[in-house]
Amino acid sequence: MASRESPSAILPRDKGAAPLDVVIAVMAFLAALALGASLIAERTALGWRAGLSDRLTIQILPPAKGATESLEQEVDAALLVLRATPGIAHAAPLTQEQTLALVQPWLGADALVAELPLPRLIDAKIAPGAEVDLPTLGAQLKQAAPDSLLDDHARWISRLKGLADAITWSAYGILLLIAIATAAAVSFATRAGLEAHHEMVELLHQMGAQSNFIARAFERHYFRSALGASALGAALAGVFFLLAGGLEFAGIEAVPFLPPITLKVTELPWLLAVPAVSGLIALGTARLSVLAVLREIY
Amino acid sequence: MVRFENVGMRYGAGPEVLRDVTFTLEAGSFTFLTGLSGAGKTTLLKLINMTQPPSRGLVTLFGRDLSVTKRAEFPALRRRIGVVFQDFRLLDHLSAFDNVALPLRLAGNRPADYAQDVEELMSWVGLGDRMKARPPTLSGGEQQRVAIARAVVARPDLLIADEPTGNVDAEIGQRLIRLFVELNRLGTTVLIATHDRALIEGARAREMRLVDGRLIEMRSAA
Repeated sequence: MASRESPSAILPRDKGAAPLDVVIAVMAFLAALALGASLIAERTALGWRAGLSDRLTIQILPPAKGATESLEQEVDAALLVLRATPGIAHAAPLTQEQTLALVQPWLGADALVAELPLPRLIDAKIAPGAEVDLPTLGAQLKQAAPDSLLDDHARWISRLKGLADAITWSAYGILLLIAIATAAAVSFATRAGLEAHHEMVELLHQMGAQSNFIARAFERHYFRSALGASALGAALAGVFFLLAGGLEFAGIEAVPFLPPITLKVTELPWLLAVPAVSGLIALGTARLSVLAVLREIY
Repeated sequence: MVRFENVGMRYGAGPEVLRDVTFTLEAGSFTFLTGLSGAGKTTLLKLINMTQPPSRGLVTLFGRDLSVTKRAEFPALRRRIGVVFQDFRLLDHLSAFDNVALPLRLAGNRPADYAQDVEELMSWVGLGDRMKARPPTLSGGEQQRVAIARAVVARPDLLIADEPTGNVDAEIGQRLIRLFVELNRLGTTVLIATHDRALIEGARAREMRLVDGRLIEMRSAA
């Protein structure tokens, strides 16, 4: 018999609930974007650090008036020092073409650029797990090649870490603001819901319902509502990240040198945290709001 | 079960609706509360249901002095009372079945445990084929029977009913009064506020009448 089915929810579905669903869906979309941005920033920073932390670059600055021979001699001397240093797995000078390719994004491929007095670069790789005394190596290089500069990328790595940390913490800040805004919206809606259903709440009280019972009815109602709306918002954000990845595959790069604004498939499940947290915020906010109002009234 | 001692009640700065009301409802008793409209019957029932505190005097319920009972204990006391409201006060978004089952849900029972009892009770009050109907689709008499079934379904210790047969025909009225009598036989204390003389004469129970807010003992139990 139909009457043996699960009982209906105590709280009716409000006809005017759609605006709250829209607000929560938009909040969840923005939260998922912020979360995705923090994931991309962390992943990119890790990649940059991994790529640079075991590399050394030695610059041999060109002499003031093009004495190419002395420049080449300094390159050879620096290579000798590097190859004799324990822990250096590999050291090789970059060709002129490779050096020009490095400056091409900034200066272009003009013939004039090729005539610029560019430094010679030596790329060196530290063997995995090896410890290299960089100050001593720098001094040895300076002795063998006076115009050499040893760059261990520490300054770059530090800057990149700072940038990635700034993006990540900004994303966390945005997530916090969105959480507060969501809680405020649910609190407002809950109070409006209590006002709209005050006769029902009064009846339940007169029938002996504990405040907890009424609070549970409201918290379930807003939990389900927020879960559904925020799942939609997070799904839209997931689609956005997938589409951004599609643009990348199509060869459309948004900003050169910056990582693609896309999430890996293994990172997408993190977006599920958005509806979960959103639902819990709605549940907790609705409960606290109802109990506070009931304490005032009854 | 229920004791009023010199109870007075006024709303705001208005005149007293109840004046020096003193009476006792013994456990297992059956009592009619009569009086003209505006005599204070509904107010007296509200005081018993703890919806409002009295302006003065002492109300004792289930042996508890309500003036010193903590508010947190009110829900448990209220669950021992079945109430038939004059305006029914059904929840329009719930089916007739779910409305009747509401006190059992409030008491923490599971649908599987109470479904059969609720169905039997609804059949008894003539609503066996209207269980899935929502209150707005029910007639006034059907709504009243849903309200009565809701009040008695949990077999409360005390039943208070405000004009419970005002919207039903004589036959259904007699059937409902038999339900109250049966409940009373099972141990429930019953207090019915009514205008219906036929109902009062048929049950031959104690009658208390409110006149201008004062209580007059009209007839003791037969």
